[in-house]
Amino acid sequence: MRAGALPSTAYDDLPYTRGGTVDRADVGALVQSAVDGDAAAWKALVEGLSPLVWAVVRAHRLSDADAHEVYQTVWFRFAQHLGRIREPDKAKSWLASTARHECLKVLKGLRRLTVTDDPQLLDRISEDRTPEQSFIDSEEAAAQSERVRYLWQEFEELGERCRQLLRILMASPKPGYQEVSAALGIAVGSIGPLRQRCLRRLRARLEARGAV
Amino acid sequence: MSDMDDDLGDDVLDFGEQALPDEEFALELLEEELRQATAILDPVPVALRQIAMEAFALHDLDSRIAELSFDSVVDALPVRGATGAPRMLTFHAGEVTVDVELTPQGLMGQVLPPRSARIEVLSGPQAGSPLTTDDMGRFTCDTSPAGPFALRLRTGGQVIVTDWLTV
Repeated sequence: MRAGALPSTAYDDLPYTRGGTVDRADVGALVQSAVDGDAAAWKALVEGLSPLVWAVVRAHRLSDADAHEVYQTVWFRFAQHLGRIREPDKAKSWLASTARHECLKVLKGLRRLTVTDDPQLLDRISEDRTPEQSFIDSEEAAAQSERVRYLWQEFEELGERCRQLLRILMASPKPGYQEVSAALGIAVGSIGPLRQRCLRRLRARLEARGAV
Repeated sequence: MSDMDDDLGDDVLDFGEQALPDEEFALELLEEELRQATAILDPVPVALRQIAMEAFALHDLDSRIAELSFDSVVDALPVRGATGAPRMLTFHAGEVTVDVELTPQGLMGQVLPPRSARIEVLSGPQAGSPLTTDDMGRFTCDTSPAGPFALRLRTGGQVIVTDWLTV
């Protein structure tokens, strides 16, 4: 179990979008350690669960500024409620549903849907130095990066429900259906069939483009 | 927007198509590819992750949480055309109530039952700008908070922090 052997310094070196697998039992243990004041456990929770929170926020199509604020609010509230969360091993679902509610509230407060078909997103690789950046920059990877762009473009043009579901499923590590259910407010049983249908649609789009 | 993709309806359980193992394998590959594309094109911003790390400072078992019990965005009937209406919030911690009204001009509020308190307007893990109530428990601040928001109150030897929300 990762939680037991948690190296307190190694987390900076872990790419946060990959590998930070934190399963349910681990989450419960990490929450408990964080409640007891263990900063490394908190760090591990942030590393492991940030992609999920970010995915839920992104799935709701807020403006960039609102997305950043909601992400922060969710973590501030999580820190605040840490010792009072009744089922620590369900912290992932807690984060997903808190993020969802906060997103819906911000959208409601705006009284209009914010348009975030952000044209910059396609060109905006991360502002931060990541391994992916060098990957994109390298000449040899040009073809592959083209493929990544196609894929992202076709994904963005899927209908709203598909885009939303797939964006959440794309968090790393892949969230369980419990978390997806909390993030979208849909029944666990409908997620599998919906996922299949959406991926099929995406594949059909890629095929139509001759990109499979 | 391609609306033809939006007609999934709520009857997704009704289509009995099962993916063949080969197809499911192909879909899993596609999903994985998409996950990698996301990690490249829409990763968690590093600065945000850093703020979340620092949020551990907000973990404080000694303070009481004042829960949000009313939020005009959610609980009030919308008034047609009243886009500039103030946001009204009410928080409860036991017998203590905190009413807050946010307008573009600033913030005002009252601690009830009336009591004096020292108040910080928080926007993150750092200390917030300090306010003091009058004898009636009223407080004002002429800058309007934006983004993550909470109040920390010190009154009668106890510390109360309101639920965090985005304003």
